[in-house]
This record gives sequence, C-alpha cells and structure tokens, in this order.
Amino acid sequence: MYEDGWIPTVCYQCKAECAILARVEDGVVKEVKGNPRGRGKACVKGMAGITSLYSSERLKYPMKRVGERGSGKFERITWDEAMGIMETKLTELRDRGEAHKFTYSMFPHSVTDPKWRFVNACGGFISTGLPHCDSAKIMAHMHTFGCFPNHHIAPMYNTVPKGGLMILSGRHPFGCLDDACVPKHILDAKARGAKLIVIDPIYRTEASKADWWIPIKPGGDASLFLGVCNYLLANDLHDKEFCDKWVREGDMESLKAYIADKTPQAMSKICGVPAADIEKLAKMVAEAPSACIDAFKSIMYGNGMDWGHAWSTFLVITGNLDNPGGQPLPEIAPMAPVEPVPAGPDLGELGYHRTGKNREKFDNYNFFLEPTWYAAQAIKDDGLKVFFASECNPALSEMGSGEWRKAVTMKDENGDYKLELLVVTEIMPSETMKWADLVLPDQTNFERWELLYMPWWYNFGHGTALCQPVVEPIGEARHANRVFIELGKRMFPEYFAFKDDVEYYDIELAGVGMSVKKLQENGGLWSPGTAGFRKYEDQGKFNTPSGKIELEWQMYKDIGQEWPSPELPLEYRRGEEEFPFILVNFRTIFLNNTGAWSQNNAQLRDPASGLDANPCLLNPIDAKKLGIADGDTVTMESGSGKVEVPIMLTEKIIPGCAGIIHGFGQTMGKVASRGNWIGDNELIADAGSTLDEQDMRGGEAHVSTRVKIYK
Amino acid sequence: MRQLSIMVDLDRCIGCKTCIVACRNHHDIIDHENDQPGAIPNYLRVESKLEGTFPSLQEDYWVVMCQHCKKTPCAKVCEVGAITKDEQTGIVLIDQEKCNGCGECIDKCPYKVIQFNKQNNYAHKCNMCYDRVTHGLDPVCVDVCLTDALSFGEKEILLMQAEADGKQVIKKMSTQSIIYTKTP
Repeated sequence: MYEDGWIPTVCYQCKAECAILARVEDGVVKEVKGNPRGRGKACVKGMAGITSLYSSERLKYPMKRVGERGSGKFERITWDEAMGIMETKLTELRDRGEAHKFTYSMFPHSVTDPKWRFVNACGGFISTGLPHCDSAKIMAHMHTFGCFPNHHIAPMYNTVPKGGLMILSGRHPFGCLDDACVPKHILDAKARGAKLIVIDPIYRTEASKADWWIPIKPGGDASLFLGVCNYLLANDLHDKEFCDKWVREGDMESLKAYIADKTPQAMSKICGVPAADIEKLAKMVAEAPSACIDAFKSIMYGNGMDWGHAWSTFLVITGNLDNPGGQPLPEIAPMAPVEPVPAGPDLGELGYHRTGKNREKFDNYNFFLEPTWYAAQAIKDDGLKVFFASECNPALSEMGSGEWRKAVTMKDENGDYKLELLVVTEIMPSETMKWADLVLPDQTNFERWELLYMPWWYNFGHGTALCQPVVEPIGEARHANRVFIELGKRMFPEYFAFKDDVEYYDIELAGVGMSVKKLQENGGLWSPGTAGFRKYEDQGKFNTPSGKIELEWQMYKDIGQEWPSPELPLEYRRGEEEFPFILVNFRTIFLNNTGAWSQNNAQLRDPASGLDANPCLLNPIDAKKLGIADGDTVTMESGSGKVEVPIMLTEKIIPGCAGIIHGFGQTMGKVASRGNWIGDNELIADAGSTLDEQDMRGGEAHVSTRVKIYK
Repeated sequence: MRQLSIMVDLDRCIGCKTCIVACRNHHDIIDHENDQPGAIPNYLRVESKLEGTFPSLQEDYWVVMCQHCKKTPCAKVCEVGAITKDEQTGIVLIDQEKCNGCGECIDKCPYKVIQFNKQNNYAHKCNMCYDRVTHGLDPVCVDVCLTDALSFGEKEILLMQAEADGKQVIKKMSTQSIIYTKTP
C-alpha cells in the first residue's frame, strides 16, 4: 500500500503547512525535506516531525476520563464508545435548543475543513484553535481595502525589487510560522538590494540581519506609522496618483485633517522612537520603489485594530497594494462545494459570543469566528456547554489559561460540571488533555489525508497541496477529520453522503479540474502558476461597499473610532507604578507553542537542536536597578498571576521590558514536564474578564500585560 | 589532495538548527521513540556571538562541524588506525569496524565535534555525507539549509566564489576545510 522513496506530503509541525517530501524506507519515515515544487524548504520543526510520529508517548487509543477533571487519569475505551458519547451529548444539546452552546476550537486547514462542516451542521461555532492573533489585521484590511489576508499571508518577499523596503513590525518570520521558504526569500531580496527594517523591542535573528533595527515601546507601532503618514502627507511624498484614483472621495481630506497633529515629534513621545528616525523612515519609504509591512505581536495588543488601521492607511497612501513588493491581495483556489452545504449558525441572530451577558459590548465585534479567548467566560455564563479541541491547547497556550482551567472544573448546584463535555483530539499528551472527558488519538501528517487550500497560505490561497499518508498509522489513531465525518454520517447523513475524506476532497478538487489521484501524480501540488498583481485594476474596484478604498471607518463614527488612535494599548497605560515592566512574549523557530507535538518533541527540547529553557530576558540597566544578577531566579508577577523564572541578562532587550518565550509550561508528557512551570499565559488575564482592554471591533488584547520582578 | 568543503555564509545563517536535525535523520543517529533531550548525538552545532551594547548590536550565527583538518589531530592519536583522510575527497572518516572506542580522538579534536556512541562503543562524527557526495549529491545540511547559507564544492572553487561575491573569509575559523565567510 505504501511506497518507498521520497513521497510528497505536507508538514504539520506548525500552522504554516509547508509542502514537503518524506523519505520512506521499509514502511518507516526516515527523512524529511522541502518539496522543491513547493518552494522547497522545511524548518527544524518539520525535520523533527519524525520524532512526533515515532514518539513512545503517542496516544494510541481512545480514552475516557476517570476521576475529576484535571486529575489526568483515563481508561481505554473503544472508538464506538467514544463516538456514542459525543453523539448522545450533541443530540441532547440540539434537542434542548442549545446547539449554539457547542464550540469546536480548531485550526481549519481549508475553508471547508470537514470538522468545520460538522460544526455548521450541528449549529455550533468554531473558534480558530488559537487566539485570534491576526483578527485585527484581517478586519483592518477588509474594512480599508476589502482584502482577506491572514498572518500567514506575508508580503510577497520573492517579488520585492531592488531598493524595496521590507518592514517587520513585531514580526518574526525567521521563526517559521510562515512558510519555511520565507527566510530565504527575505535574504534573497536583501541580496538583490532591498532593505530590511526590523521594528521590535527585542533584537532577534531578524534584527541581526536587518539594515536597520528600530527598538520601539511595545504597542507603539500605530503611533510610529501615523507619524510616518503625517510626514509623507505634509511633505507631499505620498502616492497622489494612486490615492486620487482609488481612495473614496473625501477620505484623503479627512485623513489629512485627522493626522495633522500626529507629527513625528508628537508620535515619538508615545512610541519612544526618535522623531528624526520617524522622519528618516518616511523619507526612505518615499524614495523606495515598494514597501511592505509584516506584523504579528503588535496586532495582538489591545490597540491591534488601531495599528491595523494605521498599517492599512500607510499601504494605501504609499500605493503599496497588490504590487511587487507590497501587500498582496490573495485569491482562493476555486474549489467545488460539496453539496448540500450546511448553513451554520446565524451570527447576526445569536451574536458573536452568544452568551447574553456581554452581548451589547460585542455589538461592533466584527471577527467572523468566535473569539477563542471568551471560552472561560462563556462557561461561567452558561453559554458554552460542549467544547471540542483539535490541534490547540487552551489550558496552556491561550491567554487566561488559568481561568480556562478553573472554568472547566466549575460545577452547578447539582454537582455536575457546567461544561458538560470536553473532548480533545491529540497526538501526544497535552496540557488540555488533562481536563478532557474524552481523549481521541489523532494522526500526524505522515498518516493522514488532508487537502489544503487556504487564503492564509504564503501562496496566497491560489493553489492546493495534498497531505497524504506515507506510512501506516500508529495504534488506533484516527485523524480528526475522519472522526467527524463518521460522526456526521451518524448525526447528519444528508450533509455527509460522500464515502470518506478522500471522496470529499475529490469533489472539491473537481472545481480546478483535479482529483486526489491526479494531485498525487502531479507531485502533490496544484497551482495556476501566477498570483497576479493589481487585480483591482482588472476588476475596476476594491471589494469594499463603495468599491473604493475606505480610509475613514464611518461605521465606527458613533463610537468615535473612525480613525486610528495613536495611544499605546490600555493595558500598558495603567498600573505602571506597581508593575513597572512591560511583558513582551515572543516565539522561536523551535516550538509551535500551541500543540503538544512540538512541546513534547525530544529533538525540539534538546539543548543542541532546540530549546529546553525559557529564561526571562532583561536589560542589564534594569537588572542593576533591581539588584538582580544573570541566572538569578526571580518572581515575575502581574495582576493575574506569578511565575518563578531564571533571568538572562542581555543587551538585546529594550530597557523597561521583560521578554519571555510564549507557550512553555506543559506538565504533561515526559519531555515537556522536565521544564519548570513558566508559561507566560499565567501572567495574562482571561480576556473575558477584562473586556475593557479588548478592542470590540475585532482587535484582541491577548499577549500583553505589565509585570513586576523581584527576588 | 582534493578537498571538498562546505562554505558557511554568516550573512545568511540564522542559527535555526534545521541542519542539525536533518543530519540526525539522514545518518539515523537518533532513536526517535526513546531519545531524551540531551542524550541525542549531533554532528553539527550552532554557535553565535553578540557584540555591542543596546541599541548598537551585531550578532552572528554559524554552524560548527568536523573541519576535515589537513593535519588530522584525531587520526594521529588513533592507535588502531580507524581514522583516515580520504584521498579522493579530503573527507576525514572513522571506520567504525576498526574503532575500539578508546575516546582519544574525542579528547584531541580541537573543535569538539566527535561523538561517542555508548550503545555500540565507537566514535562517530560528520563525514560530510560521504554516502551522498560520492554520488554527486550535496551533504544533507547543505541540501536542507533554510536560507541557503551553506554551499558545497571544491574548496578552491568555493573560495573563488566567495571572492567574486565580495565576501571576506573569516580566517580564524577557516584554517580547515569548512569555510566561513561574511561581507566585510
């Protein structure tokens, strides 16, 4: 059944899903490398995917909780029993008119992921299986120029011309949550004369390769770029021809009036970047043939929408939309629908958080998925009764994880859990699994079928890749897609009339004249071969209500947010005296930091090939004031929690900030549990209980807090 | 003697360690099922150096592997003649059939890149993917390098290439077959 040799498939050691080749020998995966037909790179996590496949800790059969939630004690059950438990509970929920109180937290691998289809058929919601790290960018770009990007849609670095500017603002593409070819594309562009500018409170690998590193106060990006826009407009250095043609009438005048006082001098006081540097950046932009911005951490602050708005405005006034070296406007591969398509719940009727209590606050909330971070609050408010999780780890890797763990153990007056069923599909023991009622053994990317075509890909959605099994699955592991297709057949046969996942993908692929078999014969990939530039010129319009670029967000006039505020996030503007340091959490290439499969990977937690510790980075200037030496163990405390953590003194971090890698702290699994409990999310408040810090237009404060540090 | 080399471009190395894990996979030097962190052999390691004070900083990353030395201090101490420098490639090889596991070569290696296999009682190290390069392929680390920071070929040709690209060979690290370069 399975062939030896180099077989094309897709990596899933993180969400980037790079096209890879797996070398199979006698039924065993021996090596991995990038698929040359798909830009040809795989990162260290991808290489270590083999260890996830063959780990002795693989979950091999379904398990049911015995004892209380959080005890982590389970007994083996059959797949049939597991399916029966889920079917019974979901049927009961639907029969009592509460299907909308079911949420599946997942990372959908395509816009018609079979799990998502199942949830829609049920009438439940999905959340993205990770905090909405990119919702501010998505909503800001959609509001302004009708584009649907995502954090994986980096600028097209392979198209940046000589002299073009590549601006990374709190973004870490060398950490490979983008396609693994992105670091090479950035360095290739630099080698042909493009400039790399890195704006970040921490000097990381990107900064080490940058032409210019601009240290900035966390959350200062909006003010920095408003200062740049001010300079460009005040000095007539913007792309007037582009703006005259494409910006909605009146918007440029309104923008100029709004931005008149956002001078580099004024903005410098907020972001901490010298005014002369803001002017220098503006002049560089004016002279460059193209400029693009990629941002990540900065769109996860409470002012993420303001930053997204300033970012979009910058792209528009410099004419950098869908041009070589600018911001791409992605297209999605035109796959065929699998009829009949379940409608899904009505967000307008049920509301985004569907719990009632805070509904009014969410009136302007615009993200198209349920906010993941609201789960704990929804459990407390009886708005969430059944929770499934795949490829995510809310007990550890989402903000307010402590609140989440508490919420899932809350009981009603009858002594029953308020959250009635918690199901986790997982490859290896995860922190979230500890609290689950049912644990379903999932398959790695080497064992499963999956079709990938997504707007959040580096190929701009305009292509497909096939993940195909290259070896026999371990134990009784079943891919979550197959599980929920089977459950769908039991519960909603009208929507699951196809044979299996392969037939489902065959139907979809007919939209591009392909099939699974043809895709296999085609090296696992299909692409029309071009992404296209300036598609709005062909269309004669942007995908906004007016057909033009809308700089002023008129729908937010009644709440006074039609223009981006330059202020730092609220969570940084208060509590400074008690909590003098801003916590900056960041990512590395060595951990996915979401699922257990990289947390518990011996190679990625090895000191030679990955990371096995998570010290707090502190500038020596700050350490001297606190009387702290390199290697000291300190307590880091926020308004929400505290952790014990070793200190690493480094010149790489801006004074006034404390840096920590996101996502450590797993206690489940023999590899991860070696480390101390130093999860950054212990310090970050549950977002549901700090709604005033959230931007209720779609931006989310979920990485940010202030801390104090003491021995 | 012909000398095959790997050139490490410090302008492009981002210290990602992809090469380390790819090397382990290719040479089958990891027990995926049972290995624990810290117990896994590695033929390559990544080093880095940060210079300056905030905010004027410069950090470089580079990979260190067997340097396939001209004067082979490891071979000189090997009492059983298990270590040889291959005439055709300039690659230093350890014959595991001959190796008696005495560990002298490990102590003598100035680059600390020779590993000891406790299970089989022999020394082993980077062989520049002898199995691949003798079939016309690049070493695995070069093949998988995320940023194309590594290149492979005849030492003299690589040096000419570096010169043509305006790169400076970092002398303190280039006395052996591995060449480290950077834009001055």
